Amino acid sequence: MAGRDNLEPEKGNVDPLNYHSPNLSADWRFSDANLMNTSVELIPRCNSMADFKGNLVESPSCSFVSMVDSFCTTIWDQSTHSQNLGICEINVPNSASNSNTLGIGTSGMGPLRTGGERTLGMGWTPPNAMLKGGVFLPTASGMLPPSLSQFPADSGFIERAARFSCFSAGDFGDIMNPFSSPQSMNPYSRGMASMQGPQEVFLGNGLKTIYNQHQKKEISMTENSKDVEGKAIKGSPLKDDKKSVSFGGDGVSGNESDEAEFSGGGQEEPSMLEGRGGKPSPKAVGSKKRKRSGQDIEIDQVKRAPQQPTETPKDSPEIQQQGNQSPISVTNKPNGKQGKQRSPASASLKEEYIHVRARKGQATNSHSLAERVRREKISERMKFLQDLVPGCSKVTGKAVMLDEIINYVQSLQQQVEFLSMKLATVNPRLDFNIEGLLAKDVLQSHAGPSTLGFPPDMTMPFPLLHSSQPGLIQAGFSGLGNSSDTLRRTINSQGTAMTGGYKEPTSQVSNVWEDELHNVVQMGFNSHVISAPLNSPDLSGITCKLYHIDF
Amino acid sequence: MTLHQHLPSNPRSIKTRFAIRFLQTLKRLNKNRPISSSLREIHGRYRIVKLAADASMASVVGSRRVWSRALLWKIRNRALRCNSMKRKRIHALRVRRRGGGGHPTRESGFGQANDLRKLVPGGEVMDICSLLDETADYIKCLTTQVQVMRNIADLYTS
Repeated sequence: MAGRDNLEPEKGNVDPLNYHSPNLSADWRFSDANLMNTSVELIPRCNSMADFKGNLVESPSCSFVSMVDSFCTTIWDQSTHSQNLGICEINVPNSASNSNTLGIGTSGMGPLRTGGERTLGMGWTPPNAMLKGGVFLPTASGMLPPSLSQFPADSGFIERAARFSCFSAGDFGDIMNPFSSPQSMNPYSRGMASMQGPQEVFLGNGLKTIYNQHQKKEISMTENSKDVEGKAIKGSPLKDDKKSVSFGGDGVSGNESDEAEFSGGGQEEPSMLEGRGGKPSPKAVGSKKRKRSGQDIEIDQVKRAPQQPTETPKDSPEIQQQGNQSPISVTNKPNGKQGKQRSPASASLKEEYIHVRARKGQATNSHSLAERVRREKISERMKFLQDLVPGCSKVTGKAVMLDEIINYVQSLQQQVEFLSMKLATVNPRLDFNIEGLLAKDVLQSHAGPSTLGFPPDMTMPFPLLHSSQPGLIQAGFSGLGNSSDTLRRTINSQGTAMTGGYKEPTSQVSNVWEDELHNVVQMGFNSHVISAPLNSPDLSGITCKLYHIDF
Repeated sequence: MTLHQHLPSNPRSIKTRFAIRFLQTLKRLNKNRPISSSLREIHGRYRIVKLAADASMASVVGSRRVWSRALLWKIRNRALRCNSMKRKRIHALRVRRRGGGGHPTRESGFGQANDLRKLVPGGEVMDICSLLDETADYIKCLTTQVQVMRNIADLYTS
């Protein structure tokens, strides 16, 4: 503890250096290397704490601190690889100039780490504040805010730089406009401007494409326009090559595949939307543009002025022209009472694409438009969720749907807890090899029971679960009888959810589990084999089984 | 026997990455922990395993999603708090975070959204649209997590 206090005053000196150094990522590299040492030094500290307090709960937590540290490093490692690798790669050669900061960083591993964590904290709260602006915004801004202080605080400079990088990337400008909610554009544009500033200075073209491609994938997930999707699909084979050339990184391709998985669902959304009628989406597009202009006129004027001369030399001017044309096509569609008011504004929309001052007269209309757009977005997402949650196809109405979703999430979380308890009791016997387990795991996952084995009447046991859950967790397992009661209650109520063979973890609780197994079987769900308790399995037996099943 | 033909078809999918990471964590946990069957130890280990599962799932998803970031943030804070006993700093951070959340509960017709916010990590600061988005992704990841954990548990006990 005293050691920590000694490190605290050092932090104040180190942090300005950290903030001023553009190679924050290089600090992360060092923190990666140092983290093993920190985890090692933490563990003896934890043990001493445990000795002081004699509290059993603390020592397991300390052992997972080291685990947590490794996770968090891997996360930020991954994030640096996947999103900010441009910054890393360019700044590493610059590290020679800032070797003094790195020297200080290495000498004080504690302050470096905590300083980094503070930047993390800072990086995380602005994304939370700027969340409305888009999901992809915080991914890069998590790294960037500390390094911004070295840039001139000239907002005009930043926004011009933002516009340069924006339109060099191509799609970003016209994607940005239609698909963010009006009140979110302010923080979004500022945040993006501030983000794009350092990026523009640091990164070359290829890295920008990666950043934009990442965002494009995010957009294709969350937004729902044919245009965006077309561009994303068109862009993705192109960008994939670039990405593999520049990184070869595991995290990025992982991100891509994951988002490809999810965008498979996201791509259904435009089809759903189109099925409902092509009108709402272009109307939404037009309304978004108008709404945005109502609020961000000065900024957009500043941005727009340097745009037009710089548009043509950029990479994809045709997309910009598309972006310019789409408001025209939108506004020319007849649209009830808004049709008349749109057409005189279409001329102004063509040029500036954002100015809506002429149309501010219809306050109520714009409100109702915004509400209608939001409602449509929400209903789209509810439909998507309906596909995800089993047994919800017949349910109509937002309230019931939300109840079902809540129940499902609760049940999934409880399943995770249940399985982790099972693993905790089962675990310590084996020293396994990962590859064999993985192969067997994957094979099993193809043949194993899916969560569709979930019974549709799961609303009933969940109040029970909800009440017994705290009892289970906070019981503390004071006595065997007590624990068996709570386990029995949990298993009774959760028996509907649990499919699969319940093997007995230890001999002590074997009676309890067997009773509940009988209950489960009698309930008529998937009855797997109820095996005898395995007290001391040997490794060879299990690996033989693995090989047998593999063959 | 070669394992190559038995590798998963998509080695980069969330499922395999989560499985690999979780198994590595379990291996490490097993190495460090003594084998004991007292109930307090089991309870402690249960909490660690659950945290390991959540943390590995969130780290596989990475910083792309709000819920994964919020989950990692929570775990980190817990570790920090456990480690350094400086509760003032953590409380200040928490208060600041909550204060920046605004009031996203004013949406009409979504009274139960507050319950959903409590369930999904990081849900308090989001509006309904992104909350539903995050819920969808969270559900998808939870289902993969449950599948993998169930397979592992079945493996262990078979």
